[in-house]
Amino acid sequence: MTNSLLFGISIFVYFFSMVLYVSYLAFRSETLGKICTLALLAGVIIETAAILLRWYESYQMGIGRAPLTNLYESLVFFALTIAIIYLVMERKFGIKTAGAFVTPFPFIIMAYASLNPNEIQPLVPALQSNWLISHVVTCFVGYAAFAVSFGVSVLYLFKVNAENRSLKQAGAFSGHLPSSDLLDEVGYKTIAIGFPLLTIGIITGAFWANVAWGTYWSWDPKETWSLIVWFIYAAYLHARITRGWRGKKAAALSIVGFMATIFCYLGVNLILSGLHSYGGTT
Amino acid sequence: MSEEIKQEKKGRDSIDKVWDFFTSLKLLIFLLLVLSLLSVAGTIIEQNKPLPEYYNLFRPETVELFSKLGLLDMYHSWWFTSCLALLALNIIACTMERYPFILRGMKSQQVVLDEKLEAGLANLAKMKYNLPAETVEKQVKAIAGKDFTGRPVVTEEEHARHFFYEKGKYSRLSFFLTHLSVIVIFIGAITGSLIGFKGYVNINEGEMISSVQTRKGETRTLGFSVKCNSFSVDFYDTGAPKDYRSDLAIIKDGKEAIRKTIRVNDPLSYEGITFYQSSYGGFPDVTFEIRDRNGVSRGTVFAPFGKQVDIPGGIVRIEVADYQEHFHRPDGSEGGPAIGVNIYSAGAPPEGIWIVGTQPGLNRDGTHSFVVKDMKIKRYTGLQVNKDPGVWIVWTGCVMLVAGIMMAFFMAHKKLWIRIGKDKKGRVEVTTGGTTNKNKQAFSSEMERLVRSLREISEEVS
Ligand code: HEM
Repeated sequence: MTNSLLFGISIFVYFFSMVLYVSYLAFRSETLGKICTLALLAGVIIETAAILLRWYESYQMGIGRAPLTNLYESLVFFALTIAIIYLVMERKFGIKTAGAFVTPFPFIIMAYASLNPNEIQPLVPALQSNWLISHVVTCFVGYAAFAVSFGVSVLYLFKVNAENRSLKQAGAFSGHLPSSDLLDEVGYKTIAIGFPLLTIGIITGAFWANVAWGTYWSWDPKETWSLIVWFIYAAYLHARITRGWRGKKAAALSIVGFMATIFCYLGVNLILSGLHSYGGTT
Repeated sequence: MSEEIKQEKKGRDSIDKVWDFFTSLKLLIFLLLVLSLLSVAGTIIEQNKPLPEYYNLFRPETVELFSKLGLLDMYHSWWFTSCLALLALNIIACTMERYPFILRGMKSQQVVLDEKLEAGLANLAKMKYNLPAETVEKQVKAIAGKDFTGRPVVTEEEHARHFFYEKGKYSRLSFFLTHLSVIVIFIGAITGSLIGFKGYVNINEGEMISSVQTRKGETRTLGFSVKCNSFSVDFYDTGAPKDYRSDLAIIKDGKEAIRKTIRVNDPLSYEGITFYQSSYGGFPDVTFEIRDRNGVSRGTVFAPFGKQVDIPGGIVRIEVADYQEHFHRPDGSEGGPAIGVNIYSAGAPPEGIWIVGTQPGLNRDGTHSFVVKDMKIKRYTGLQVNKDPGVWIVWTGCVMLVAGIMMAFFMAHKKLWIRIGKDKKGRVEVTTGGTTNKNKQAFSSEMERLVRSLREISEEVS
């Protein structure tokens, strides 16, 4: 058994759980709902095992490092955290129909990851730091929370629009979606998880940069984009807390925030250049 | 209304307007979005590149325009800095505006659940028991004490006893922590840029330096010397670098003060100045064998780095001018160590060639080939040198920021009032109510749980 085999299985399981969640949206049988959750949970467990195995294999190869240091590894970690945060939110708020809008993420991200080179490579000196691990973990759990908020916000807009278009029709399909108030609340709660984590992620990144290069902030594109993301969610929080922006405007800002997050994560490397190690396909 | 008062009022109005402007959240949201947009621009136009690179990318007029607008170093431009300053003012004003309310929220406490308070509480419940008052009180205290661990304030009245519990009072300070932390970080950054410096120095193995070149182009004396005893580099089997190490010693007043091997993530600090492993390189002294067109040896020559030497046969002089540990061929492949040699022939322009790995080097006409027979490399280590007295202020601000955000999101100021009295029939009556400043929904379910436990006290009568 190798880590790539396990990762392959988890892609398949994520695909399966996505299909199940979409069919749950259509049929809403309670048994089906349970199977959905179990399938996603299975994906999470298999993927966690794959990551641990990869970690173990790196030690066997004499490289010995946490599997969080290149594009491939960050993508699979991202997929895992999205699935976990969604499962927690589902359990806490009972928003199973939102699953159809969130579960495509783990599958698509894993599929995209599998297109990237996945050999276990040794770390260049700058990346040999424990700060790297805390930096990557906090950033990506934060990103994952924003991804869940994004999925829920899209669903919110969908639901509100359906309600406005035809109050009669609303009962037919979107009536089974979680109430718009609940979606709004979950959209906010997930950002309230993601924002502190992103903050810690930026700070640990700065601390690491200071230890490695003697500069905690150098305005390189990756740093700058993470600050942009932080600004957008700070604006979201203030607009929401103190100006009573709820509903559509808040959902729109959450969507913009996630777009910026994705650009910060992938766009900066693919389009802009930077100091960071997730770059390109080398 | 007399003229004077009118004037004064008008003056106050405009001060109020300025004040409202600086305390407004609209300004904050506007600033955050403007700063985001400006920063986007700064990541699209690469910042602080050498000027010629811009001329390669843009037309000369465009480069001049960008340069005039400060777009090539925009994070230090007056307009970007002004936005940050406005943000700081915005935060300070907002903090000043809010602090009386926050202090009031922490101070004035009503400890008695009277009728007036009762009317205003959302989470109110009443329970009656056929039990002695002491028994009920004991159980009520045990149940309330599970969530509210502190001692309650007890007030005795003629017909009732009041208990006031409170939790998370200091979470109200989260507002100061989060917002002032941003100011603290700014202060740290300004301190660093005013009295710190960033510099760079190369030290040859076995040699020492006592001053460095700063980024601003000044020479800065350190007040002590730094010696590089040795430098080494390890590689993985793949050829990727694994570890750079410089064995450094600080020499102060002729004595060795510290000795430490630094690595990329493990710098050395002395008297507030920090030395980071940043790069490395070397100067080879090379012995060449010179061969002619037919591969016949003409003898050997010793060429110390940077020195022009005659080669056997005259007319041509050579100089070892450059060295790279990991040469990248034009096709991108990795070629191992490479020596850059300048060739000076009489009556021809000088020529530069790279001799890569064990391949012999050829001059342009192919009349001479150079085979490396022996090479001694004198290495140097490249160090980034920093002094940043503000960095600890920045980290203090960061800790405040994280602590403040955590407190704001995950803690709340909760209050619980319990009154134990008697109803008209003489039965024990317990009244509970609570409030919180945040996350009211979660608090309501907490209160429901509390009331459920209270109802489970035996012999409750409805
Ligand atoms: C970059 C600067 C800023 C950051 C990082 C920041 C961060 C925060 C955070 C994390 C919260 C906590 C949310 C909560 O209490 O649930 C908050 C709340 C708040 N902020 Fe800011 N803030 C900033 C600037 C400002 C400014 C300039 C103002 C005033 C115009 C402001 C006004 C407020 C208010 C009124 C609250 C609500 C406090 C409460 O719930 O009692 N903030 N801010």
